[in-house]
Formats: sequence, C-alpha cells, structure tokens
Amino acid sequence: MDQSTTSSFCNLGILDSLSNDSICEILRSYNGFCAATQTLLAAVDDLSARRDFVAHVHSLCKHGLDSLVRDHFLRVLEETFERNGASRFWRHFEPYSNVTGLNKNDDLEIDEDEILSVLHSALEEIYLEKGYQEKCLLMLVHAFQSYKKQVSRDTRDLDAERNHLTTKYQWIVSSVLTATLPRNFRVILHWYFKRTLEELSTRMDEELQDHESQSKDGMDLDEKGKICNKVGEMDVDECYNDSRYSENNKLVNSIGKVVLHLRSLGFTSMAEDAYASAIFLLLKAKVYDLAGDDFRSSVLQSIQSWIQAVPLKFLHALLVYLGDSVSYESSSSGLKSPLASQPSSFCPGIDSPSEGLVRWKLRLEYFAYETLQDLRISKLFEIIVDYPESSPAIEDLKLCLEYTGQHSKLVDSFISSLRYRLLTAGASTNDILHQYVSTIKALRTIDPAGVFLEAVGEPIRDYLRGRRDTIKCIVTMLTDGTGGNSSASGNPGDSLLEELNRDEEIQEDVGIDDDFNTDDRQAWINAARWQPDPVEADPLKGSRNQRKVDILGMIVGIIGSKDQLVHEYRTMLAEKLLNKSDYDIDSEIRTLELLKIHFGESSLQKCEIMLNDLLGSKRTNTNIKATISQPSQTSGENAISMDTISATIISSNFWPPIQDEPVNLPESVDQLLTEYATRFHETKTPRKLQWKKSLGTVKLELQFDDRIMQFTVAPVHASIIMQFQDQKSWTSKNLAAAIGIPVDALSRRIHFWISKGIISESAGVDTSDHVYTIMESMAETSKNGAGSSGIQELLGGDEEEERSVSSVENQLLKEMTVYEKFIMGMLTNFGSMALDRIHNTLKMFCIADPPYDKSLQQLQSFLSGLVSEEKLELRDGMYFLKK
Amino acid sequence: MANVNVHSEAAQDNNIAPSKQPLSLPKTVDSQSVLRRLQSELMALMMSGDSGISAFPEEDNIFCWKGTITGSKDTVFEGTEYKLSLSFPNDYPFKAPKVKFESTCFHPNVDVHGNICLDILQDKWSSAYDVRTILLSIQSLLGEPNISSPLNPQAAQLWSNQEEYRKMVEKLHKLPSA
Repeated sequence: MDQSTTSSFCNLGILDSLSNDSICEILRSYNGFCAATQTLLAAVDDLSARRDFVAHVHSLCKHGLDSLVRDHFLRVLEETFERNGASRFWRHFEPYSNVTGLNKNDDLEIDEDEILSVLHSALEEIYLEKGYQEKCLLMLVHAFQSYKKQVSRDTRDLDAERNHLTTKYQWIVSSVLTATLPRNFRVILHWYFKRTLEELSTRMDEELQDHESQSKDGMDLDEKGKICNKVGEMDVDECYNDSRYSENNKLVNSIGKVVLHLRSLGFTSMAEDAYASAIFLLLKAKVYDLAGDDFRSSVLQSIQSWIQAVPLKFLHALLVYLGDSVSYESSSSGLKSPLASQPSSFCPGIDSPSEGLVRWKLRLEYFAYETLQDLRISKLFEIIVDYPESSPAIEDLKLCLEYTGQHSKLVDSFISSLRYRLLTAGASTNDILHQYVSTIKALRTIDPAGVFLEAVGEPIRDYLRGRRDTIKCIVTMLTDGTGGNSSASGNPGDSLLEELNRDEEIQEDVGIDDDFNTDDRQAWINAARWQPDPVEADPLKGSRNQRKVDILGMIVGIIGSKDQLVHEYRTMLAEKLLNKSDYDIDSEIRTLELLKIHFGESSLQKCEIMLNDLLGSKRTNTNIKATISQPSQTSGENAISMDTISATIISSNFWPPIQDEPVNLPESVDQLLTEYATRFHETKTPRKLQWKKSLGTVKLELQFDDRIMQFTVAPVHASIIMQFQDQKSWTSKNLAAAIGIPVDALSRRIHFWISKGIISESAGVDTSDHVYTIMESMAETSKNGAGSSGIQELLGGDEEEERSVSSVENQLLKEMTVYEKFIMGMLTNFGSMALDRIHNTLKMFCIADPPYDKSLQQLQSFLSGLVSEEKLELRDGMYFLKK
Repeated sequence: MANVNVHSEAAQDNNIAPSKQPLSLPKTVDSQSVLRRLQSELMALMMSGDSGISAFPEEDNIFCWKGTITGSKDTVFEGTEYKLSLSFPNDYPFKAPKVKFESTCFHPNVDVHGNICLDILQDKWSSAYDVRTILLSIQSLLGEPNISSPLNPQAAQLWSNQEEYRKMVEKLHKLPSA
C-alpha cells in the first residue's frame, strides 16, 4: 500500500489483490473498531477499550482504510454529540421556551437567578462533553500517529492531520447546534448579558461615586456610603484592590467565561451581538437618564466619562480575559478617537488601548452622540423656547452634530415640530416672533454659516408673511425697550432692542477692524481659518461671508422690504408722539438713532422730522405761553388759563395721514385754542395753526356732590361729559348734535362714561333715541349697579381700535383699491395678463400718490384676494376678469 | 392674435390712417407735460368708474392705448364689446388722438378698417376733451349714428330696420377670444 490510498476508491485493481484472509481481517478490525468507538464515546473510559481502539485503527490503516476510519469516527462523534451534547444542552432551556421577546423582562415568570445558573451549568456541561469528545478525537489522532511512526517514521503531516480533524469537529459542533437552535436561546443570551451588564454597571457606578467621595482613609467598606467632605488624592492602585473590585473582576470573568464557551460552541457572532446590544441598550438608558428633560446643563461630558468608566472598562476586562487585546496591542496608533485628548487614565491599567477597544470606544461614542442628538433634536422646540437658559443643551447638540453630521435630520424634525406647534392659528404673532428670534440665536451657535437656519427659518417667514399684524409686532419689538407686550412668555421686545444695540457695537467694531485688517498677518490668519461651506449650503446664496447671520436682517426679511418696516414704524411713532403730553422723547430719539444706523438716514428722514416737530412744539409752546404771562384774560367764569394747554405742532406733510373727525369742543376750550392759534400766527408768521381737535388727551377732574374723580381721556369724551355740566340729561340725538358727531359714534364714546358709572342710559320716547343722565352721587351709581372702580384710567377700552393715526392696514387698503381699479382697467383692455406684467404695468403707469411700491409677493397676495372675491380668475398663471 | 390684426391693418391703411406713433418717446421740450397729462388722464379714467368704457396704455408706451367699449343698454349694440386703439400725437392734447376700432364694428360711421367718422376726433377736437370723453362719445355714437354721412352705406341703409340690424351686429360681433 502506498500513500495514494486516500483515493483508493478509484483504484479498483487493489480489490483484486486482496486475499480472503485480509478481507477477514479487515472485517474483524472494522467491527472491533466500531465497537471500540462506541464504547469510547459512551464515556466508558477504560484502558482495554483504548488499547483495542488503537489496535483496530492500526490494522485498518494497514489496509489503507484510514479515511474510512476517519469518516466513521467523525460520524459517530456527530451522532453522539447530537444525542448527548446538543439535545441535552437545549433541554436546559426548554422551560423558557415561552420567552420570545426581550422587552418587559419584569413580566417574565422565570426566576432570574435560576436562568443564570441554568445557563452557566448548561454551558459548563456541554463544554465538558465537548472536551471529552475532543480528547477522543485526539486519541484517534494519536493512533494515526503511532501507526505512521511504525510504518514510515514520517511525522510531517501529523499536525496537519490534527488540525484538520479539530476543525472538522468544530464544524460539526457548531452545525449541529445551529441546526437545533431553539428560538429562545438568542433571547436568553440577550437577556443574560443585559442583566449581568446592568449589575456590573450599577456596581461600577457606585464605585465611581465612591471613587469621587472616598478619601484615603475611607477604605473601610462598611463606611463606603459615607461621603467625606474632603476629597483627598487617591491612590488608584491600592483602592482598586479592595474586594469589590475583585468582585467585579469575578463578574467580568464569569461573563468572559460564558463568552468563551459560546465561542467554542461556534456562537461567536451571536454572543458578540448579544453583549453589544446589551451595552448599547445600557448606554441608551444612561443617556436618557442623564439628559432627560433638563436643558440647563451640559451632559456630554458626563456621558463620555460614563462610557470610559463603565462599558469600556468592562470591555477591556472582557477583551483581556478573552486574550484578544494582546495581539493587537501595537497597532492602535493608527486609529484615533475623537476623544484622544482625554487622558486614558479613566481606565486604570490601560496604557495603550488595544485596537479592539478603540474600535469599541468609537462605536460607543458615536452611538452616544447619536442618541443624545436624537433626543435633543426631538426636543429642540422646547430647548429653543427657553433658549438663553438652555444654551448648554444647544452646545451639546452642536458637538453631537459635528460628530454625526446629521444636520438634515435636525432641519426636518425641527421644521415639522414648528409646523405642528408654532405655526398655528392659536399662536400669537409675538410668540412666533420670539421663537423665531430664539431660533436664530440658537442655531447661530450650532451653525455659524446660517445654512440650516435658512432652511428652518423659511417656513416661519412664510407663515409670518401671511399674518396681518406681523409688521406691527416687529416694530413694537424693535422699539419697545420696556416690552410693551403683556404676553407672559419672555420679553421679545428686549431682545430685539438689544439686538439693535449689539448691532451698533458690531458696526463700530468693524470700523476699527478695517484699520487693522491691512496687516498681512491678520489677513493670513483669516485665510487660514477658512472652512468650506457645509454640503447643504445653497451655492446660489453666496458664500458664508455674505451670509452672516443677522437677526435684524432676517426679521426685515420677513416683511420683504425695509420701507414697509419704516412705514409701520412711522405710523407707530406718530401714534406714540401724539399721545404724549410732556414732550419727553428721549427714548424715541435713541431708538431712531439706532434704526438710522441700521436702515440708513434717508429712509428715516420723515421720522426725524416728526421728532423735531415735537422738540419744536416744546419750544413754541413755552414761547407762546411766555407772551401771555401777563393776564389778558377774557372775563367769564369758565375761562381756563392758557397754562393748562400744551400743543403738539406737527408738519403734517411728513406725518402719516391723521384721522381727524370734527368735534365741537366746549366753547371755553375752543376759545382758548383760537387764541393760542392767533398767538402762534403772531410769533410764527406766516404760519397758521390748524387744530386737529379730536386728537390729544384731556385731564379731567369731575366734582360730584359726594366725590371727586380724575380722568385722562380723549377730547371727545371730555366734550361729552362737559355737556352734562349744565344739563343733567340729554337725548342721544341732541347730544350728538351738540358735540357734532354722528349718533352711533356718540353711543360708542359715551359708553366709556357709562362703564365708569357716571352716566346712565335709559330708553327714550323714541325707540331709536336714548336718554343719558348724569349720576350725581355715589349712591345713585351703586343703585344702578354699574361698578366704578378706577379713579384714574387711561382712555376707554374701546379706544384700542380708534387710533388717531390711520393704521397701516387701512392705508394699504386704500392704496390697494387704487391698484384694483388699475388692474381691472388693464385686464379689461388686455384680456389676460401674467403676474409679472401686471406688476410692471402698475410700476410704469400707476404713479399716483403714493406711487406703486409693492413687492411682487404683495401684489400676488392682493390679486389672490381679488380672485377669492370672484373679481378675477387665475388660469395657467394668467389673470382674467371674472365675467 | 389681436396684435397680428393690428399690424396687418395698419399696413393696409397707411394712406387713410397715418402710421402709429413711433415707440420711442419724442424728444420735444414739453414731452414731460404730455406724459403727465396722459398719466393724470389714466388716473382719472381709472378712478371714474364709468361702466362700459375703459382704456389702458400698452405695455411700455403711454402714447399707445387699448380701449374697450361695450354697447349701451337698449341699443342694438347691447351686450357687445369692441376693442379700440388710441394713439396720441406728441403734441397731445393740442391735436386729437387717432382712434380706431380694432374689432369689426358694423356701424354707419365706421368703415371696414375700423376708422371712425366722429367730429370731435377731427375738426371739432379741443384740448378740453380727454380719453374719457372720447370713449363716452364713441359709446354714444354706437347708439346714435350719423346716417347722413356714412362710411358704411350698407349699415346706414340697414339702420332703419333695427331688428335686422341687431342680427347683423350679432353675426359680426365676435366675443374676444380671451
């Protein structure tokens, strides 16, 4: 027989050369071999069986049947393993076959400790079984070996033979186990790792706390709960030698053993999956626990140190136990953790972390960052609501995003939460604006280039454009340093005025910068600092230098043009100035100066003139009063001294249109005003005063039989109440005629006095006529039930809508009716026109006062208004007249 | 479509109705005042709210206007709508604008090319007239033609038979395809 017997199947000629004897011998040996194998594997380990086994193997080998021997042995081995090993192993887990999911572990009706010990013992058992079988396998190998020694003294491929057989055996083991794998085993493993890791982490946490609180002397374990105030320096090596540490080691070791066993059974990836997912679950829980709903502190640091302290330490111990880390020790330098700057002393004893460990660290950190980022993004709306306080959370988010790069996730999620929570009819414009400003500020931190801000801001801007009071709110926010809005959510007014101030400073800085910027070195530093735009940047919007995040700019961007903002500001300023009685305009001057810096002098020229008017009025007023200090008073008991009036003299060309309604003032007052006007004409010839009698405020003191009341009211109100001085009771028609206002206006105005309990209303003879009577005494008032609470109250409640300056909306509406006629005219003659053409035609031909100055968007919204009024039709982008 | 018509007709009628104003603004001394006059006329016309008459400058030239007239109630032209073109001379309002029907109008004083025979557009012109009065005059001319000097004898003949005339008007009148 030669070496080629392994392929003897093909060499049929050999069969002829076999003698009867040899056939008998072969048969005998084979039977003996089979029996011996059976005995051997049945774990009856006696010497005779071994001897027989070896002898039979030898004799079979002599006949070149070693492959038969090998195959048979392996087959029997497989059968035995299947019977003894695998099925017995799985039987351990049968009681838990109902365990199918990992969630809600608490609901499982299994004893946790029991399953732990079951797993341990099952693994132990199968490991022993496997060990024994491996021993048998080795015996076979030895039999081959000794035979070969006898025959040819050739030991070359002995190791190869052994390796071959062992690998084959491993294959058999893992395939048998995988084939019979019950479904619940994965779950049990998962659960096991989760459970043990949780235990470990609690212990390590405690240790960590102790680590912080333990002083050198506090080594006694019984006192570990005590927190010593003085945190002394701690000798790490000594400290970790305490029994708890070894207990941890024990736990890690037992986990390691389980992993090792699982690996030897061919469950390497399953085990890895199980503990990896357990670690991630733990990490996720930790992140949620640490981060929670508290945005006022940064949690990234503590998450990082926790990763270092618990999972990494565990993994290190595990890897060391499994002996993996040794082989990689030198190759770690190539991989660098983003936390490389952190001293690795968090894991005592690891000088250069192994590659496996570094990889784990990267994985864990990425996961932690991503989890935290997702958590923060989902709460971004709330974070931004309490923005200045929540800046640590924003900082965290920024770091996370830098690491994970999932900015688009932020944009998408934030936009959807904006739509859902902010951009609804229920949110007040002030709140939306406040949130917008906070968003700008917060996102400026995350993304200084403003790319994502642009994306996020777009829906807010679009929405705000649809609100009528947006401009008004913005202007209030800009100008009202004291926060004129009463909404409870923060004080947006402050923030924008601040922004104006801040802007001023920046501009000053820029001025200084320019002088120094000529320095080449500075330029070089700037150039070196250049960074490319984020990939999401819209190349059409220019580079980041032009895209500076400028809150005011973005706010103005909502409105469309600064002219509109200035216009609204002018209206509000006029309103404010007209209601002033003391000429004190310091704060307005300051605001105007700030606005001028931002919007340019020329656009605010009218406003400046308005303020100047007020300053001029103050002077003129003093002058005029000086001329009449000598009593030249007209006789009469009702005569009022000139001192009591102060006029606001305005150059009406530069003021917004003023709503003036004629009102008859009491004669004495009227006289006084005329006299004032005459004096004005004398001092300021050729200029003349024209009174807007319905404007201004009147301070009143009403004297009744039993009380004195003070009010600050509009002239109309004052005129009304003055009429009751001589006549106790008026019908509404007569009273309206006396004051010179329409009846409906009167009944609206007089309501103020009725609500104060000073005048009572009763039905007159005519149903449309009412009778108003003055209430002379308190008793009468209370009898009528009209509660009067305020001694002094500023203007009536309905005064809100009756503003002295016609509101911007009304002005706009008036302008738009002119445009409507033009649009109708051009559509009548041209049939159909596109938006652009209407816009251009209006620009060209509508040169009324004020000329057409609307943006395309404004025109579009106006046109869609006409469409909804069924005056126009819109088809394929062309506007038609509705026939 | 309307524009094509304008051009072909203008080409045909060169002898009758001299060509329209050049598109560029004339550089006369008082072109500014002409502009202002036309602008204020436009404003007045727009704000007047007269029903049945309308006119508006073409896209980029305030000297060329398009007009629209609807037939007055209780005339044979009731419910019809006619397009006009108005072209103002550089010395407007001292000279009358050239006014033509752009759509076919079956009328004794309007010829097949749309030229109108109306005294105030010729010898009776005065600078006191404006776009609005011109349009109103043409509108009333529709209902009260001058049969004695017809540009369209067929129409003049048929005028006496109002029923037939109405049928003719309806047949020839095309609603604007817009």
